[in-house]
Amino acid sequence: MIDEQMAVFIGSGLRLAVPIIFAATGEMLSERAGVLNLSLDGMMLMSAFTAALASWATGSPLIGVAAGVLVATAVAGAQAVLSVTLRANQLVVGIGFNILALGSTTFLYREIFGPLSRDPIPGFAQLNLPWLAHIPVIGPALANQTGLAYVSILMVVVTWLILKYTSFGLAVRAVGEDPRAADKAGISVARTRYLGVLYAGILAGLGGAFMSVADSNTFTENMTKGAGYLAITAVIFGGWNPWYTLAACLLFGFATALQFLAPALQLDVPVALLLLLPYLLALVAIAGFVGKSRQPSALTIPFERGG
Amino acid sequence: MVMKNPKLAQGTRRKLVPLQVLVPVVSTVIALGIGLLIIAATGASVVEAIEAFWDGMAGSDFNIGASINRAISLALVGLGFIFASRANLTNVGGEGQIAMGGMFATAAALHGAGGLPLGLAFIVPLAVGTVAGAVWGGLAGFLKAARGTNEVISTLLLSFIALPLVYWSVESFHLLRKPISDVSSLPESAEIPDTTKLPLLFPDNGSPLHIGLLIAAIAVVVVWLVLKHSTLGLRLRAVGLNATASRRAGMRTSFYVILAMTVSGGLGGLGGAIMILGQQFYLTSDFSSGYGFDGLVVGLLSRGSAVGVVIGALLFGFLRSGSINMEISAHVPSAVVLICQGLIVIVIAGSAILTNRKVTR
Repeated sequence: MIDEQMAVFIGSGLRLAVPIIFAATGEMLSERAGVLNLSLDGMMLMSAFTAALASWATGSPLIGVAAGVLVATAVAGAQAVLSVTLRANQLVVGIGFNILALGSTTFLYREIFGPLSRDPIPGFAQLNLPWLAHIPVIGPALANQTGLAYVSILMVVVTWLILKYTSFGLAVRAVGEDPRAADKAGISVARTRYLGVLYAGILAGLGGAFMSVADSNTFTENMTKGAGYLAITAVIFGGWNPWYTLAACLLFGFATALQFLAPALQLDVPVALLLLLPYLLALVAIAGFVGKSRQPSALTIPFERGG
Repeated sequence: MVMKNPKLAQGTRRKLVPLQVLVPVVSTVIALGIGLLIIAATGASVVEAIEAFWDGMAGSDFNIGASINRAISLALVGLGFIFASRANLTNVGGEGQIAMGGMFATAAALHGAGGLPLGLAFIVPLAVGTVAGAVWGGLAGFLKAARGTNEVISTLLLSFIALPLVYWSVESFHLLRKPISDVSSLPESAEIPDTTKLPLLFPDNGSPLHIGLLIAAIAVVVVWLVLKHSTLGLRLRAVGLNATASRRAGMRTSFYVILAMTVSGGLGGLGGAIMILGQQFYLTSDFSSGYGFDGLVVGLLSRGSAVGVVIGALLFGFLRSGSINMEISAHVPSAVVLICQGLIVIVIAGSAILTNRKVTR
């Protein structure tokens, strides 16, 4: 009995962590280049909606994911124009996009699907990899995931490789730490930052699409429920390192999943308190563990050539 | 970054004042225009939608009063935003501060304040709500001063923590949930005693407009005086512009950071308390929904001016009321207004390069 509950807990913890892993991994790279996208939540929400819509219209969840990523990348493009070229306040712009995303997805959802629709939309099937299922305790939870969940871990590896071993990764780090020196060394600060933000958009798009077409097979209003903010916090908590960020995402996923485990263990904890747990953890994390020094020096600071 | 070309600097300075006003006005007009286009695109009758919108905003004494009541809380949150931003702090946690203010004001009104002699019955809950919001905002200020925690992230997270707390309080019988009287009892608090409700300004014509209007008016004047005409305002500004220099000049910068966030949060908490004591009269888990973002947008639109906050708050107070009625009568989702708000914020933030040639670091 308890084993079964544990498997459900681990499975849901992983499922809840996947969108945050996608978004946080992309955001981590963007922040290393000096741009903070508070609009991450909006990108995810827009993608979740678009993926649901496209999957519902075409019957193909794969097209759904592609459409979701496309829209999220477009939002990222707009964020990049504002943050990099127009040197707007990155945080304020991000909040603006989140309001816009909430408004437009809620509006379109009601217009297209009707106010009370809970129709399932075509989604991905779970893979049920037999060789994974044999691992004790965590095996079934690991095996019963959709393909996208494994892609999220793959993206962490890819992002780590990009940052560590490619010239683009070197440019990202240089631009985030000392844009003026990078500029003098012939690196285009603007181009690097644009690519960083777009990369964050693509991954946030994957994360949002995962929510609607892989996890729940439906769209609900404001379905990200602040997952984008959690992802940003995970980046801070993870000290802008891909692996620590992954660990932070998993922690947040399991903290959220605790609400499913608590009743099974007959713990008399109010659900509301479990709901706030990930945010409380995040707050304690950024207040307690993260020194200022590890932050990319040029984070949120616009760069102007010459001057 | 210092402007090196004096001619250019002069030209910019001359344009500065009109643009400060022009940008918010133009972006609001454009956003509302886009909102109308969206309504038209849905096939709904634009005329009908506008009629329903107008009716909801100002169709009767009741609706006008309700719209202004809404504006009162938005103005307080907006004032809080500009107060913090004077010290170069961005308080985006209005929602959480409203929630804490409303929750503690309800608790005070239900447990004890009702029996106090006239006046104190609602003043005490208002004060309790203000303190609750102040603590919530001050916490972010403390984290900023003590740990260097970015206040944008911390105020956001504090909102995500406050909302489940309100949910918890109205779900639990030993906290604020009213006893179940029948099967349809919702998770909400009991209605607050009549003595704790804010007195109405015009009790005879059915308008719900209450004395919160006077409280907000006082707050507007006080914030304006403090920011524009006091040493405190100057010091907040100095700390915001250059913390290191301020510290060298002998100012306790941590104190001003915490103070700015505490006052900012307190104004939000007062806004939340007024929402409960003024018109809603009982606590629900989502009573603050949307007010935080609206107040934030009001603060942004005002560009640091208390008068701007009043105009923005009235605009959004009426917009909100109108959009709710538009959804009920003309079946146009009120989310259209959210779209407009998002656009306004983005456009204003994006045009900062026009009004503010100086790159802020």
